[in-house]
Amino acid sequence: MTIAPELSDQVVSELADAVGGQHVLTSKTARYNRARVPAPFPVHRWAERVPDLVVMPASTEEVAEVMRIANAHRIPVVPRDGGTGLTDGAVPERRGIIVDVKRMNDVKAIDTDNRTCTVGAGINMLKLNEVLAPYGLLYPDDPASYPCSLVGGRIGTSGWSLIGSRYGHSRDLVLSFSFVLPTGRVIRVGDGGGPKVSKSSTGYQLKHLFMGHQGTLGIATEATLKLIPKPEAELSPFWAFPDYDSAHQCVQKLAHAGVATFAGAVLFDEWKVDYLRRDDEAYIPQPADVRALVCAVAYGNADEVRAGGKRFMRIARDAGARYLGDEISQGDWAARHDRYATPLHGRTRAGQVVPMSWHCEDSAINWTDLPQVRLEWHRIADDLRRRFDMFDDWGIFAYTSAATGVDYLTEIDIGIWEQELDDESWTAWVQAKKDIAEVAVRHGGSISACHGACRDGEVDLVPVELGGAFDVMLDVKRAVDPNNIMNPGKYLLDRAYETEVE
Amino acid sequence: MTDVPPRQSPAPEEQAGGAADTGHNGGNGHSPVTVEFLSEWRNAAYNCYSSGHKFCREVCPVMQVTRNENHTPTAFHANVVAMEQGELTVEDVAEDYVNCTQCGACELRCPNTLFTGDFYRFRTRTVDLVKRMRALAVDNGVHQPGYQRWNELTDERSHEPVLGDTPVSQEHVRDWAGGLDIPIGGETVLFVDCEAAFYRTSLPRAVAQILRRAGYEFGLMTEQWCCGGPAAEMGYRDQARRFAEHNLADWRAAGVRRVLVLDPHDYITFTEDYPEFFGDDFDIEIVLVVELLAQLIAEGRLTPTVPIERTITYHDPCRLNKRKGVWQEPRQILGAIPGLTFHDVDRVTQWSYCSGAGAGLPIERPEIARKISENRMDEAAQLEVDTLVSACPWSERPLAEAGQDRAIDVVDIHELLAESLGIDVGGRTRA
Repeated sequence: MTIAPELSDQVVSELADAVGGQHVLTSKTARYNRARVPAPFPVHRWAERVPDLVVMPASTEEVAEVMRIANAHRIPVVPRDGGTGLTDGAVPERRGIIVDVKRMNDVKAIDTDNRTCTVGAGINMLKLNEVLAPYGLLYPDDPASYPCSLVGGRIGTSGWSLIGSRYGHSRDLVLSFSFVLPTGRVIRVGDGGGPKVSKSSTGYQLKHLFMGHQGTLGIATEATLKLIPKPEAELSPFWAFPDYDSAHQCVQKLAHAGVATFAGAVLFDEWKVDYLRRDDEAYIPQPADVRALVCAVAYGNADEVRAGGKRFMRIARDAGARYLGDEISQGDWAARHDRYATPLHGRTRAGQVVPMSWHCEDSAINWTDLPQVRLEWHRIADDLRRRFDMFDDWGIFAYTSAATGVDYLTEIDIGIWEQELDDESWTAWVQAKKDIAEVAVRHGGSISACHGACRDGEVDLVPVELGGAFDVMLDVKRAVDPNNIMNPGKYLLDRAYETEVE
Repeated sequence: MTDVPPRQSPAPEEQAGGAADTGHNGGNGHSPVTVEFLSEWRNAAYNCYSSGHKFCREVCPVMQVTRNENHTPTAFHANVVAMEQGELTVEDVAEDYVNCTQCGACELRCPNTLFTGDFYRFRTRTVDLVKRMRALAVDNGVHQPGYQRWNELTDERSHEPVLGDTPVSQEHVRDWAGGLDIPIGGETVLFVDCEAAFYRTSLPRAVAQILRRAGYEFGLMTEQWCCGGPAAEMGYRDQARRFAEHNLADWRAAGVRRVLVLDPHDYITFTEDYPEFFGDDFDIEIVLVVELLAQLIAEGRLTPTVPIERTITYHDPCRLNKRKGVWQEPRQILGAIPGLTFHDVDRVTQWSYCSGAGAGLPIERPEIARKISENRMDEAAQLEVDTLVSACPWSERPLAEAGQDRAIDVVDIHELLAESLGIDVGGRTRA
């Protein structure tokens, strides 16, 4: 097991030579504020995840030099981009060096002819799109954390985009990137060798391998991105249903319709509607017979969005939906899409309002399995809430991941009164996460569509989900990172270094 | 006037349910004043810590420069939680809190404000937290050398040392009004901040002469001191209160009912700090000059007629736009001035802009403040304007310096209006 040795003055001095002394941060605030992400963790255990120091390099070369130093001294390295992920990828488990890439946020080139841009990994998508706006272009990677997550983190987690059913997800939108391996070697990873190629058949397709590894294989430092014309129009109709089953049927009819501007659809289950009605101040109350909701989203040229929208309206009406009107449709999509909003409070069983953090367990689930998965997940949440009055079931969203409706990012949102978490309730939460993941795997889905799956609980099931592919993961890890310095402790990858017992 | 008025968080009352009784707020070696601070701020800090969204980060002018996560509003709240847990002390955290201009962008961009703000008028109070943490540091004997020196000089001279080595003094605080024959006292007085009184004297001269043109009666204070706001922003609350008491006593003695304010920073001090100091006893009406001028134009009492041939953009001062929701009136004034070509940038985009001059940042971190000014002027340069108009004297010196390299003039809105009214203002735009 790799654990950071006490960092010697020699190491600190070498790092200062590599990135400049003012970019080696050793203060307690610098380290404590890079020991957490939005995912819940018992606050009394904060000190367990504090790194030894932080470096803020400004270039690929500086990152490579830091890696060489860390590898030579066998010091753990954890890349940190936005630190907005929900599976603790950016949180050090074995101290060591945090490589914070936020200073690498420049726009290096905009190629309007080939519609690409090349950026530092530390740039945020909203800020990038401010730069692209005068060109009429958009980088459409659109997670819930759009105003604060960074391009490099999207690579490290292989992110999911709300409008990915039309424009693709991070893996589709990132054409290529510079990647620093744990030895300090720098490679360019893409589809083939050219930095602006979207489809190649040359060699192994390594781009997917070096995305979504949660910092266990290296650090992305610069990326070339695919750009689209900024959409002229947005349409986001919301419909109400008297029961879950008819909403479930309708959402798939919308996905099956083959409308080119279709950018996604969202299904709200009964628990979600109950929760919004109970505690969401931005939710405009609907009659009690509204039990489930569906929203479809279309982006593109105005004439095409208008034509597609008419088809959506006809499909929904035929499926028994009641349209909620333009005002609610536009406002609700703005609230949920632009604001990443949850009420940030929940209730105890007695109905007392308490401050709660939002956590969502996300899985990839096929449409056919959504109704049953939903029931099994709510049973797990209900059991947890019955035993510990600091958890609250905030319902389930299911979002299309692709235009065909093959699978849905399905999330159960759980409110957690984090101030109250103790060791016993934390253990129960970890078990609940594992149970939630087990349901997803048993139904032929995947533990995570979006966040990654390296937290306690679900991580135990990763070898179950991946089977023999997990063994190949171990082989790859050992080959790329011979000394296990990259984000050690994540994804059960320590197993790659275990010697067989005679 | 206010889009989202600051308000006490509903959280402590409505979210109680034992949150304050969980026994986590024990001493942990903190001083009594720190323990009291933590018990006051713990729930508000958890509101941020628990969500951890960090929407505030990219809109923060300091973070845009340093890219350092412990200069973020999220960290400012998380530190409170860590202190409460006994992991950090006020000595550990104090220095980080200099990295803030108290512009308020983070509060507006906070999901907690955006979401429940519509309904409850709730607003995350990061600016307040920064002020209180700076004060807590001072109360614990932890000083930032630049702040300490600045406030000592202010205390000695009753005004901020805005002229550097050239001393400012009480005898000269009304020099800007030379030759204008403005009376002393009256029901309405004009309060002129230290920067405008000693450095940019053209600004108060413009305001005074515009008001006279409109037939609006006002006087000057008998003995004006610094408003005390900078001391409050940097953590020297006792000094801030002494200055406030002096100014209030001056108003009381002269029978003042109404104070005209031309500086957004003073406007914050008089509408937020003074009511906090004096409670219901503070019954002085505070009038923002830029709002008054827009009203006088709308009523036909001022009609700018001299064309100003400039291509301009407008800089929304943080304390007007982000802190007070005042953004329409300056645009109404600019709309009334003939000859201008106006390339406006909407107020929400301007949430991420700042001059860098606020809350003592240039005193402790001049290089960061300078970079923020340069970033702001880079935005202006992209609009291909020859002039940036501001409504805040504190922004105008650093922006003008950054504007020199970009061939962009920085002009005060009051001075611009005076010019269009045919007034020869006089005074200086720099020392």
